[in-house]
Amino acid sequence: MMMELTSSPLFGVTLTIAAYWIGMAIQKKVNKVICNGMLIAVVLVILTLTVLQIPYENYYQGGSLINLFLGPATACLAVSIYMKIDLLKKYWLPVVVGCSVGTVTSIGCVYGLCRLFGLDRELTMSLLPKSVTTPIAAAVAGGHGGIVSLAVAAVCFTGIIGNLCAPLMIRLFRVREPLAAGLGIGACSHAMGTAKALELGETEGAMSGLAIGLCGLLTSLLSLIFDLLP
Amino acid sequence: MKILKQVAILFGLCWISLLIEKLLPITFPSSVIALVLLLILLLVRVVKVDHVREKSDFLLGNLPFFFIPATVGIIQYKETVLSNATAFLVVCVVSMIATFAATAWAVQLTMKLIDRRNRK
Repeated sequence: MMMELTSSPLFGVTLTIAAYWIGMAIQKKVNKVICNGMLIAVVLVILTLTVLQIPYENYYQGGSLINLFLGPATACLAVSIYMKIDLLKKYWLPVVVGCSVGTVTSIGCVYGLCRLFGLDRELTMSLLPKSVTTPIAAAVAGGHGGIVSLAVAAVCFTGIIGNLCAPLMIRLFRVREPLAAGLGIGACSHAMGTAKALELGETEGAMSGLAIGLCGLLTSLLSLIFDLLP
Repeated sequence: MKILKQVAILFGLCWISLLIEKLLPITFPSSVIALVLLLILLLVRVVKVDHVREKSDFLLGNLPFFFIPATVGIIQYKETVLSNATAFLVVCVVSMIATFAATAWAVQLTMKLIDRRNRK
C-alpha cells in the first residue's frame, strides 16, 4: 500500500517542498552558513526515505519533475549576468583575467589532486566543476560522465567552507583591493561565498556575483579538454 | 497568462538548446547553451528582462530547492562517498584556497599594471 502511494509523483514533490520549507525556516532562525537550508532539506529527505524504507526510485517519480526546472533555472543566470553588464564593461580586464586564472587554477588543482588520490574518471569529473555555481557544475559533471549528485554535494561543501574562510583568506593572502577580494570569493565559492562578499562590501558583492557567471561559462568551456583525455 | 508566456519562452529556449546540444560535435551542456542564448537575446534586445522577469525571479529565488532531488541521489553512491571521504575533503578545501589566492593575486597584479600604464 505504502509502496504504491509513494510512487506517485505527488509524494516526491510534496516531501521535497516540505523539507525545503523546514530547512529554510531553520536557516533563517539560526542564521549560520553551516545550517544551510538546502543541505538540511536533503538530510531530511534522505532520513525520511531511509526510516520509512521508501526506495529512491519512488521518490524520483516526483524528483524528476523538479529536475525538469534545472535547465531553465540555469538559463536564468543570464538575467543576473545581464543586470551586471555595466560593471563588466567598466572593469572587463581585471575581471576577465581574474576569472580565467581562477578557473584554470580550480580545474588544474582538482584534476591534479584527484590523480594524486587515484580517483577514477567518474569521480574526477564529478569534482572538477566544484568551484562554480550548482546549475553549471551539475550540467558539466553530468555531460562529461560524472555523478551529478556528488558534484552538487561538492559544490555545497566548497561554498560553505568558502563562505566561512573568506575573511580569513583575505587577511592571510594580504588582499587589499575590494575588487580582487570579491572576484576571488566568487571564483572559489560561487553564490554561497557571494553571500559573505555582500557582507564585506558592495564592490565585493557585485564582483563576486559577476565571477559566478563568468567562471561558470569558462569552466564549461575548459572542461571540454577532458573529453580528449583518456 | 503572463507567467505562462514566460514559461514558454524559457522552456522553448531550453528545448532549442537541447537540439543544438545534439547537433554539436562536442559535449557542451544544453543548459549552458540556453544561458548563452538568453544572454545574447538580452544583449541584442530581442528579449527584454521584463519578458522573463517573474519566472526568472521564481527560479533564481528558489534555486537551491531545484537541486534537492539531484543531491538526494547521492544515497545511491553511499559506498563510494564514504570510502573516498578524505580525498573529497582535501580536494575541496585545497583547491578552494588555491583558487581564491590565484584569482585575487591575478586581479591585483592586473590592476597594478593598468595603474602603471595610466600614469605614464
